[in-house]
Order: sequence, then structure tokens, then C-alpha cells
Amino acid sequence: MTSQFIGDPTGSQSSGNYTGAAPAVWPAKINQIPKEIFGDPTIFEEELKNIFYGDCWHAVGHVAEVPNIGDFKTFDLGRVPLLIARGKDNVVRVFFNTCTHRGNQLETSTSGNRKEFECPYHRWLFSLEGQLAACPGAKEFAPDFKQENFGLMEVKTEQFLGLILVTMGKNTPPLKEWLGESALPTLTALLGGDGRLKLLGYQKVQYASNWKGYNDNDGYHAPLLHTGFRLLNWQGGKGFQRMTSGGHVLFEAELKPATGNGFLKDPSLIAFKGSNPERGSVITQLFPMTVMTKHMDVINLRFAIARSHDVTEVHYAYFAHEDDSEELKQHRIRQSSNLLGPCGMVSMEDAAIFQRIHIGNQTPGFAEFQKGVTSLTEVPMDVKQNDETGNLPRWEHYRKVMGFKREGEK
Amino acid sequence: MNQAANAAHSTAINTLQAAYLSALDQGDMAGWAATFAQEEASYYCISAENDRRGFPLALMYDDCRGRIDDRVSFVTKVWVGTYQPYRTRHFIQPLSCTTAGSNQYNVTTSFMIMMTPEGGATKILTSGEYRDLIEIQGDKAVFRSRRAVYDADVLPRYIVFPF
Repeated sequence: MTSQFIGDPTGSQSSGNYTGAAPAVWPAKINQIPKEIFGDPTIFEEELKNIFYGDCWHAVGHVAEVPNIGDFKTFDLGRVPLLIARGKDNVVRVFFNTCTHRGNQLETSTSGNRKEFECPYHRWLFSLEGQLAACPGAKEFAPDFKQENFGLMEVKTEQFLGLILVTMGKNTPPLKEWLGESALPTLTALLGGDGRLKLLGYQKVQYASNWKGYNDNDGYHAPLLHTGFRLLNWQGGKGFQRMTSGGHVLFEAELKPATGNGFLKDPSLIAFKGSNPERGSVITQLFPMTVMTKHMDVINLRFAIARSHDVTEVHYAYFAHEDDSEELKQHRIRQSSNLLGPCGMVSMEDAAIFQRIHIGNQTPGFAEFQKGVTSLTEVPMDVKQNDETGNLPRWEHYRKVMGFKREGEK
Repeated sequence: MNQAANAAHSTAINTLQAAYLSALDQGDMAGWAATFAQEEASYYCISAENDRRGFPLALMYDDCRGRIDDRVSFVTKVWVGTYQPYRTRHFIQPLSCTTAGSNQYNVTTSFMIMMTPEGGATKILTSGEYRDLIEIQGDKAVFRSRRAVYDADVLPRYIVFPF
């Protein structure tokens, strides 16, 4: 039986009958993921509608990236350009980055500080809060033109400890409900306890990988990949991996001090100066593709953009905490720069896997999950720290949101 | 190339620049590290965006000699077998060279790095600018500090080798 796309199950973005190349078979076994979904541009179009423009929240920034009045950054949600700006009232808003007149892209810079936003095409001028402040020649405009109706279009936004999430869906649940109660403590720990962060800078990179391949292999995975862990005698302590039915994954583990085992000439890089070794490694992975981690003294929020079925862009944003001593801040800067990014000591390998797995996923068959699988029919919600089954509830959520039916399912 | 440096120093600086490019383009990480001063040296590879906005965070942040040697260990011992191999070809253009105390020069050079993934076509990895503090030691020059400020706001791939 072929699987069939039945539209967004929430009903908000239903596109009717799916005519694209759906996976020939989404297997009944819960530990198999059909590789076809990684290389198909028509499925990507459906994902834009159902996930990225659908009833999901997407992390697009943190208020610490725009700390002063007039600060802005631009970002994309799928192909939709966003403008994130701090108004004179200190409120951070997210707008569609388009002039409300003829639709011209409003702000072209990736970041900066403005007194207002001006569209150069017909000189429409918008305040930092999004109101249309001026539009030359208005007395010759259409009879029904009202200036107050032409403010910038605001995207529905909610924040959690300064983390900015947006949704274009009509039926998206409130953010806390969508995150789930069980996600909040881990996310709170990751955001420094109170979200009072200070931006240290970015590493931005494109991966030749489908966004799902990126997401499935970022975040927590088996440490076998990382030769460095063994060489440095770097062992994780006890912890947990917790999944939510909404497709999120929470991970926390104790970190034992790493000695470097004599391998490093400068072991100070992997010193752990934070005050909470029992939460030395904290990861929150939000559906569909936001990975955030606090590892040792690195606070890293990864704002990702699904560019196409085979390109994923990731902006690794690194932070200190506002209360850090100068010494801790300097330590965070050197550790953040060298540890977890697209050239990081223990993460360059991850980046390589994103691309290699995308190549491998062009072959027939399934991505197979093994470690920790105890049932072939029940999606596990209770997994051990090092099980790879932690990804399966997210896959189940994805399958449902996309409306792909399992083999034998009616 | 400059009026501040005498002919012997100029030659030493040019030889150093060539040794740096040659080492990287041949995948010789030990040769790369050997272009830096043994006693005290630093290497930073940072995006132009971070540099312009005053953000300290870098892509590679080797603020001491030990970090430079550790980078060599990671590329040659830890990462082997994980990454998709690629070769580079660096091109540089001198921009400025001024004295910075006895036997030291501030040198600025623009760079372009071509990248050839194994089995693929050659593409531009990024361009940028080296901002260096170069020291003359005897008849040779070494980097006390090299800061590679790369132009790409978004890099086209993950990075294994220094710029």
C-alpha cells in the first residue's frame, strides 16, 4: 500500500490532495525511516506548507541579539523574509520583511541599528514599532487608503526567556503548551536560568544536507563518532534523555572534568568553570529543527533555515550570561570558538555526518534505528541516555504532521 | 613591497607568506604550525561580520602556541576518516606593511581560497584579509599573530583546515 498525503491534520493549512512523490512506503516498523523523504523537492514544498508555514513554533532569534532600541536582525523562515526589531518601547517584534505598499524587501542588511525603516522604492517610512509613519503623495492614493492600516505585517510571536519564536499557522497552540511542561526546566537551564544573555558572536554555515538529516544528527547522538572524547578521557556522567509527544527532545547530563589525558598542550580550553557540573551538558531540540545546547561553558543557540531539500543553513549564535565575570566571559569566548561549531573540536565531525548522510540518503531503503529499540510497533517515550531511539518520537510527530500513512494503516 | 622593511626583511616576509600558503595547500599541518613563533604566537580565523561588529567569537581561536599545536593534532589525529576530503589553493595580494617596533611588522594581505572537494569541481571557499604581526628572527620571519578575517557571511561548508 502506498502512503498518502492527507493534508495538515490540524486542518489549518490543508493543501488538499498531495500529488507529489510521497514515500512509496512508510514502513510499519517504527525504527525505519524511508530515505526517500530526504531527497525529494516536492516533499520539501509540502514541508514548507505544513511545518514551516504551519502550526509550529520556530526559533528565529534571542532578544540578546538586538539589545538596544533600534537594533534589528533579518532572518528567514523557509523562504519567508523576517525583520526582527527592538522598538522604542523596548518590545522586540517580528515583521515580515516587506514594504506594505508594493511588497519590496524592506531591510537588506543582516543586522544593524536604525531610527526607522525606509523603503527606497516610494519612500514609505516605518517606525521601529512597525507603524507607517510617512508615505509621500498620500492624497492621491486610493479612496479607501488609511495610513494606520498599512503598518508592517507582524508575525505571531511568543518569547520564552528571551528566545523568540514565530508561527504562521492559524491554529498553533500557545507556546508553553506547544513546548510542553516537561521541556521547560531543561530549556530554562540552557538559557542561563533567566535568559539574561549577552551575544558573543556567530558562526554561520551552509550544509549540503536536507534539514531533517541535519536535525536528526545534530543534538545528542552516540559518542562513538567522537574520537576526541576517548583521546581526552572525556566521559559524560549520568543523565537523561526525555522526549515529548510534540517531537521535542530534552537531554541533560552531568559532566565530569576532562583532564585532556595529556593529549592537549593547552587543556585549559576544556576546563569547566561553570557552577553546575550536574547540568554540564544540556540540550534542547525543538521540533522541527532548532538545536540549542549548553555544553561545559558554551551557550549555543542554533538558528537554522531550511533553504531547500538539500541545503540547510545554520547560524550558530553564542552567548555569555550578563552576570559573568570577565574571566568567565573570556573563557566562554575561546571555548565557544573552538568546541562546538562547524569547525569545532568535537563537532566538525557532526557537520561531516550531516553531509555524508545526505549523500547516503539518496539510496533506496531505510535509515535504521537499532540501539534501544524494544518494540517494533510502539514508539518509545522512555529511553535510556545513550539510546538512539530518542529520535523516534520526533519522526512519529513529523509523519503525522505530514500525513504520511504507515504501511497497513487506513 | 614596502618602504619600511629593508630588503632582507622583505625577502624574509615573502618567504614566510609563501611557506604558509604552501603548507596549507599541501595539507601539511606541521608546516603550517612551523610558520608561527615557537615561544608565543596566536592564530585567529574570524568572520568579517563578527570582526566588524566587534564580536570576539571566532571560527578558530588559537590564542597561544599550545592551541596552534592542538589544532594540528585534531586535524591530523582526531578528525581523520570523518570529513570529506578537500584541497585548497590560496592566493594572496599584499596590501600594506608597516614597522611595529624592532624587527616587527604589521602586514596586511588579502586572500582568496579556492577549494576542490575530492571528486568535484573547484569553487571559491571564501576571500578575506590577513592581518599579521610578523617578527624577524635571525634571517627568517615568523608569525607572532595572524588574524584571518574571512568575507563570507555564511560559509559554504564546514571547515577542517585553517585559512
